[in-house]
Amino acid sequence: MKNRLRVLRAERDWSQADLADRLQVSRQSVNAIETGRFDPSLPLAFKLAKLFSTPIEQIFSDEE
Amino acid sequence: MNIRLCNKELSPLQRRTMQLFGANLGFTAVLSLATHDLVKDMHPSALFIYLTALLPTIPVVGIVVVVSRYLARETDDFIRMLVVQSLLWGLGITFVLDTYLGGLFSHPQIFRLIPILNIDLFCVSVGIAVRIQLWRNR
Repeated sequence: MKNRLRVLRAERDWSQADLADRLQVSRQSVNAIETGRFDPSLPLAFKLAKLFSTPIEQIFSDEE
Repeated sequence: MNIRLCNKELSPLQRRTMQLFGANLGFTAVLSLATHDLVKDMHPSALFIYLTALLPTIPVVGIVVVVSRYLARETDDFIRMLVVQSLLWGLGITFVLDTYLGGLFSHPQIFRLIPILNIDLFCVSVGIAVRIQLWRNR
């Protein structure tokens, strides 16, 4: 699954650690999601959408 | 010195789990050795042997409870996935080593150096697997 997390994070000038703190997860989780090695759970995806004030489908797409 | 996981301080849940895990592991080793010596020195009845052999299994059940509780309460999905993968690696390595050592020690000419508990093998394997997983995902 592809995502725009890195772009959205960069737009806000947040580091991975900043985003991890806001999501209350480890920095490794953010890194794994950004690099596509880990797909977040639905609650975490909703949390991301709420944090970036963006619909989930604008953050994640099912392209390989 | 504080233990660090994922380059950040352990959460209270992770710290508590590590403490309980270590304590149960210690109890398992102590009870295994103690009951072994007790049975060896006392020449007890078969029923007593069966009952005392159950004692070291209590902290093993404790370890299962501690790990289950941790997995149920860990809110970080990615860390939970790493821990589950490490547990599976630990199980696999324990089965392989147990099969190998079982075959090896069944031969009388092979001297059994130290009593090795499967739970020790499992915990060491899981610990190594967790470190490797964290290093790969640093």
